[in-house]
Amino acid sequence: MTTDTQTPETQAPSRAGRPSVGSMARTLLEDRVALLVVLLVVLVAWFFALSAGGYLVAPYDLSYMASALESMVPLAILGLAELLVIVSGRGGIDLSVGAMVSLVGMVFGFAYGQWGWGFLAALLLALAAGVVLGGVNGFLVAYLRVPALIATLAAYYAYSSLALISNDNAPISTRPLQDLNSITHSVQLGGLAIPRQVFTFVLPVAVLIWLLVNRAPYGRRLYAVGTNEVAARYASLDVARVRFGAYALSGVLSAVVAVVTVAQFASARPDAGTVGNGMALPAITIAVLGGVAIAGGVGRVGGVLVAALLIVWLNAGILLYFEGSQGSQYQLFALGAVLLISALFNSLILRRRGAT
Amino acid sequence: MSAVATAARPRRVTARAIEGQELVLLGVLAVLWLVLSFAVDTFFTASTLQDLLAAVAPVAIVGVGMTAIIVTGGIDVSVGSAVAVAMVIVGQLVRDSGLPFLPAVLVAVAVGAVLGLINGVLVAYGRVHPIIVTFATLNLYRWLAFQIFGGEEVNNIPGTLAALGGGAEGRTAGLPNAFLLAAVLAALMWAYMRYSPTGRHLYAIGNDAHAARLQGVRVTRRLVSVYVITGVLVGLAAVVSIGGGGRIGQAVGTGFELQVIAAVVIGGTSILGGRGTVLGTVLGALLVGTVSAAVTLLGWPSELTALFIGVFILVAVGVDLLRQRRRRSL
Repeated sequence: MTTDTQTPETQAPSRAGRPSVGSMARTLLEDRVALLVVLLVVLVAWFFALSAGGYLVAPYDLSYMASALESMVPLAILGLAELLVIVSGRGGIDLSVGAMVSLVGMVFGFAYGQWGWGFLAALLLALAAGVVLGGVNGFLVAYLRVPALIATLAAYYAYSSLALISNDNAPISTRPLQDLNSITHSVQLGGLAIPRQVFTFVLPVAVLIWLLVNRAPYGRRLYAVGTNEVAARYASLDVARVRFGAYALSGVLSAVVAVVTVAQFASARPDAGTVGNGMALPAITIAVLGGVAIAGGVGRVGGVLVAALLIVWLNAGILLYFEGSQGSQYQLFALGAVLLISALFNSLILRRRGAT
Repeated sequence: MSAVATAARPRRVTARAIEGQELVLLGVLAVLWLVLSFAVDTFFTASTLQDLLAAVAPVAIVGVGMTAIIVTGGIDVSVGSAVAVAMVIVGQLVRDSGLPFLPAVLVAVAVGAVLGLINGVLVAYGRVHPIIVTFATLNLYRWLAFQIFGGEEVNNIPGTLAALGGGAEGRTAGLPNAFLLAAVLAALMWAYMRYSPTGRHLYAIGNDAHAARLQGVRVTRRLVSVYVITGVLVGLAAVVSIGGGGRIGQAVGTGFELQVIAAVVIGGTSILGGRGTVLGTVLGALLVGTVSAAVTLLGWPSELTALFIGVFILVAVGVDLLRQRRRRSL
């Protein structure tokens, strides 16, 4: 996973033989994934200590951490969607992912729950709907050159409205959809009950996106376009098409999340991705925490995945530390604080790099 | 080239006071109101229009500040949460301590200003992209509001602030005071951004912050100032939203930021910075308010409002892009 964003400084210590404390500190500063892994270990150790000291309302142990993974699906997959659009540059962002989850979830709910389609056909329809919705965003941003913030804000309004209207504001929870809940049951692995969707959805999607970004020509083009659009154009890249692809893929990933979410709730809810603060905000937070630079061209799949794990286990720990609704409120605080600190950290790193 | 420039000049001078997008908006509003007056008998009645103007006021008030922020190339998505914080603080003070009108307004403005100052300092000195900063503070301020709510909504608020509310006490010559306040604030901001040197600097920053700094514009100071101004306006919007009293639910202000940004963008302000006027924002807020009132009056499902707002945003941006392209080709 150590490909494009490595700087020469981080490779220097390995040549020197034994790494000194200073160079290790520098590696942590420069390599976002390493830093996040350290943070993750510290966080988990801290919650284990709190748990052992009896400060938590329930034990924070491996089986609790395993069951908390069920909330990782929207966070990790939509975080990867934001990675793609933000890396594509020119102020890239997708505020509409939550609305796409709602709308595609309804499409899937109609097909599988009411029209009696098979699972595979309904899944394909959902993915196609994701391509269309994401494609609309991509067309607006890449070809009409509407600023991404505005295009996806408008799309957020339109998609969430369509999702609510599609079934008169009511969820679809027919028999087939209730039975679908079985695909999110947990599997036993080494004595731990791990939610099945981690293996059937998160890991395959993560591997595919990693391959796409790091091993496929498209990934090279995406980073080129995001880093310097003009240079990419002179290198005879079809800038608009590359950027269009990022937004269409964001739609596809939202569709995957939609199907999992429907299965998780055992019903297609018209506000699944937009209720409260919605799914877009946490996804953007995770992308930024994972080291994706808002200016485009920088970001790694590994960083986003570790950031998603960090947020999932942090949120799970917070729920045990505070009683009642206080827990979910402190999750807001944690999300905001983490986003702010990681963004300030990002800009500090950029400034240091710019200075040297 | 020079012939084109001189030929273009007189037309630009006449078109300066009201810019293209605002004329288009006025036309759209006129058509919309005309159609509505035929479709709904009760549209051109005093109470419908008073409700409409009162409902538009908070969006227009905060939109005035948001226009300045977006002109500098920034954005503030935390205003919904900030309004919630100001509302719960003032609501509790008015109910529990019997705070009179003027101190209550001052408290609201002070709370808003502090929240805006935090955003401004983080944007200007932290050099973090404004959308990231304000996404973070959106969460932090919402958490703060929840903490002050203390798990229950604020009920039985007396009518201390009714003079700025939507009720009969809140009107002067038949017009809601809240909307008059919005109009006055918009006029002040319009004059500031158009005629004062520091107001012009906002456009300079939005067009090219680096060049502006080299020209001697105090960029960080101007950036902090627009976020603080917006914070002050958030405080006023909170007072207007409390208005005649009643109850404040814990989810208050959720999604408010999107309405404000929609109003600004529909009003013709470029999200890339450097271009836009407060007048357009007020018209944009009126358009959004009219659409949502129309959907209710026509008996359509209220969820349709969001769809129309989305379409209007795209149409507004599309028209703007077309005009830019034409200007560039001249």
